[in-house]
Amino acid sequence: TEWNASTWGKRRAFTENLEKLAELVAEKTNGEFTINISYGGLSKNTENLDGISIGAFEIAQFCAGYHADKNRAITVLELPFLGVETLEQEVAVSNAVYSHPAVAEEMAQWNAKMLMTSPMPQYNLVGTGDARSSLDSFDGMRVRATGGLGEAFAAVGAVPTSVTSSEAYQAMESGVVDTVAFAPHAHLSFGTINEADWWTANLNPGTVNCPVVVNIDAYESLTDAEREALDSSVPEAIEFYVANYGELLQRWDSVLAEKEVEKVMISEDELARFAEVAGPIHTQWIEENSARGLPAQELFDLVGATLEAAKSGN
Amino acid sequence: MAGAASVLDDDSLISRVDLRLERLERVFALISGISVFLLMVLAVVSVTGRHFFNSPLPGYVDWIEMAMPFIAFLGVSYVQRVGGHIRMDMVIGVLKGRALWVAEWLTTFATLLLIVLLIWGTWAHFDRSFDFTAPNWSRDSTIDIGLPLWPAKFVVPVAFFVLALRLALQLWGFGRAFLRGDTHPVAIPLILSAAEIAMAEAEALEGDEK
Amino acid sequence: MTSIEIGLWVTGGLLVLVVLGMRVGFAAALAGLVGLIWIFWDKKGYDPEQLVWAVTVAVKTAGQVPHGKVSSQALSLIPTFILIGYLAYHAGLTRALFEAAKRWIAWLPGGLAVSTVFATAGFAAVSGASVATAAVFARIAIPEMLAVGYDKRFAAGVVAAGGTLASLIPPSAILVIYAIIVEQDVGKLLLAGFIPGVVSALIYAGLIVGLALTLKNFGPPVTGFTWRQRFASLPPALPIFAVVIIIIFFVYNPFGGDAWGTPTEGGAIGAFIVFLMALWRGMRWRELRDALIETAKLSVMIFTIIWGVLVYVRFLGFADLPGAFADWITALEQPPMMTLIMILLAYAVLGMFMDAIGMLLLTLPVVYPAVMALNGGETVAAADAAFGMSGPMCAIWFGILVVKMAEFCLITPPIGLNCFVVAGVRPELSVQDVFRGVTPFFIADAVTIAVLVAFPAIVLWLPSLA
Ligand code: NA
Ligand code: NA
Repeated sequence: TEWNASTWGKRRAFTENLEKLAELVAEKTNGEFTINISYGGLSKNTENLDGISIGAFEIAQFCAGYHADKNRAITVLELPFLGVETLEQEVAVSNAVYSHPAVAEEMAQWNAKMLMTSPMPQYNLVGTGDARSSLDSFDGMRVRATGGLGEAFAAVGAVPTSVTSSEAYQAMESGVVDTVAFAPHAHLSFGTINEADWWTANLNPGTVNCPVVVNIDAYESLTDAEREALDSSVPEAIEFYVANYGELLQRWDSVLAEKEVEKVMISEDELARFAEVAGPIHTQWIEENSARGLPAQELFDLVGATLEAAKSGN
Repeated sequence: MAGAASVLDDDSLISRVDLRLERLERVFALISGISVFLLMVLAVVSVTGRHFFNSPLPGYVDWIEMAMPFIAFLGVSYVQRVGGHIRMDMVIGVLKGRALWVAEWLTTFATLLLIVLLIWGTWAHFDRSFDFTAPNWSRDSTIDIGLPLWPAKFVVPVAFFVLALRLALQLWGFGRAFLRGDTHPVAIPLILSAAEIAMAEAEALEGDEK
Repeated sequence: MTSIEIGLWVTGGLLVLVVLGMRVGFAAALAGLVGLIWIFWDKKGYDPEQLVWAVTVAVKTAGQVPHGKVSSQALSLIPTFILIGYLAYHAGLTRALFEAAKRWIAWLPGGLAVSTVFATAGFAAVSGASVATAAVFARIAIPEMLAVGYDKRFAAGVVAAGGTLASLIPPSAILVIYAIIVEQDVGKLLLAGFIPGVVSALIYAGLIVGLALTLKNFGPPVTGFTWRQRFASLPPALPIFAVVIIIIFFVYNPFGGDAWGTPTEGGAIGAFIVFLMALWRGMRWRELRDALIETAKLSVMIFTIIWGVLVYVRFLGFADLPGAFADWITALEQPPMMTLIMILLAYAVLGMFMDAIGMLLLTLPVVYPAVMALNGGETVAAADAAFGMSGPMCAIWFGILVVKMAEFCLITPPIGLNCFVVAGVRPELSVQDVFRGVTPFFIADAVTIAVLVAFPAIVLWLPSLA
């Protein structure tokens, strides 16, 4: 069996789960089952779910915030200030939400089935010009921040002006935005760090959620051995991804120094004030999505409970 | 641009249908032009808001992405009517009479086949973003202010549908010209000489430049 | 059948359709759609029962492209730049510009022709399309040159060649299209075109002055304008410079601060200023409506090619043909510069028969990755690169070279569109006259291209500042 996988940009820490998965699957099936990863050749990055639903390719990565209306249920994971601290915790909450029937049902509308997550650390801003280290300085700032992060910034007066990650550098370079919120790997991969004058080291407002899905028909027509090879490779791929990302985070400080990017620390008081915007955004998310018939409160509580368990237990 | 042409008319049925359709196409083209104008106004508002009031326009990029399909597709049939879509007329330019009408009929037929398939494909694209039961009927939205995307996706099959009508009419026109052996048939774009093309180009630019 | 073989067959079929006179955008989309069906059916081993599935998936995949690819912030530059051009005619800016150029520099040997070149260069700064520029100046400049005794063929050649400057000097629709296909920064590419455009204009002017000094009975200098007349000619032409300066500031702030915004915004502000001028000069709804419909027509023509070719490019993505071609080019056993020059020569030949935009859209998806691979890859550092420049800089440099080639093709027989346009506007001129008159400019263009190849810094200096 030969599968095509659609993602975008270039190979980076964010795509290592997919790359590792392809490697493991080929290994376990002695090359009988291969996955070819295409970086943007098969689909526009906001249309990967469409491509899965059509059946143009069998496996794809996408981000929830690119198109909230396509994937309402998992946008719970993009809410600001959920309190996720590590990649392991991010994996735990993602897995819990992905296993919820409401998510499976929504994905099934796209003929898609959740395979794994691409856990990302907390986002932070890089910006040009004078460093913005207080909430007041966020007023009127055009920030590339999708989903719930965008709402959090909007709540303190910034204007979310977003493009997909592939276009973020151009947007920053040409002045469409002043700042870009990304995880460190993306600041590296999409070159925003090269344009930046400063970086908020401890803003940590939240992150985005980018699952990897498979086309249901393709998944079901795999042989038992192939399906077994695929399923059993997921935990290993995630493990590899997390370890690889950990190394990148360790290098991050030296990258900042090398690019002469100023590290901005925001005071505890300012952070606490910023976190206050989360309450109303959470409530609004629950109300809006309950009205759409989603078990919104349940999903939100699931995230909280899973996070608590992850923090205390393991 | 190689491909400019003119369309003759008389009081035959095909010519009357042509002129009727042309009125619709012109309205569509005008909407496309007005969208360009609004895009300009949008940028002016965005820039002034940002520089003078520290309040950038929320959803500026979202609105641009919404407007683009209106600009790019609504006029597609109008341009087809006047034969304005770019092509290489090296071969077709030397053909005359019936040979020309056969050649035009064949490429027009291939185009109609393409457009019929694309109506299906772009309709499916629209349909995936549209859901009667969802708020705003939306199942796909823009990134910042969550505009429903289905209207921008709907424009494409609509414009292609009008284009399909135009192509069907042109098939009729080329077929009629072939059967009757016309030299100056109505309702289809006639290839102009290079000089005539240029004349038309220049006239389009004339305005009050005198 | 391998996917690369399918890619080659479909590409061959596309060329046949284009030669047979099918509209380029539709031909590309049809080829792409057929290619997708083929690829998907191939995947199912040509099982007859799976043909319907293959067609369905292919049609739906192709159906994503028109809306998906056109809804882009970067592409919104194209209609805005087109609108500026049409509004500028109604605002009377074109004639004002020629008048000013004439009063200031017509005293040179071959002065009126030099004035024409500089006026076309100035107009190029608001016009994004070469053909439109040539058409306008054929009306304004040729009669004046004939009146003072220029050879009519040469007068026509000056205008045909001067018109090509519009696609190098920003704004330029064709540079925007290049930027979009190769996914490079539009602002930097537009900046990069500026100096090569000015260099082209200067080389044209130098050629004219040289001809005027060596040939007797060339165009006599036109003298006798007072300084008062000269300064009086400036105010009506000033808005052009205001627009140019605004666009520059939106792309790149020369004073070292942040740019004021995006090229799109700069274009829109420029268009708005020209719109206000045109209103002030008496434009009413009827003229505005015509300008809007003309803008819509030209935009649709360009966008139809763009989405059509992108359907074909989507198919290429599934067939991985660009990767294969890049591998082949880099495996050639000859110096990379030799390969690059051969590619440019191939463009010169192809451009004789094809429209510039169509030519770039059709060829770049395959040729561009090959050129980048030749240089050492998208992310190569200048020190390790075959052409001595980093990946992004190579993308800009190649873009300017290719656009200059495409412009060169606008004045070469047998399908030099600018020459047809000039001949069409002036009843006293035949196409042969114009082609004859424009011949000296081939030399100027060949020199310009050689200079740009030999000294990439001319192209890369401005964008490297931004
Ligand atoms: Na220009
Ligand atoms: Na030519």
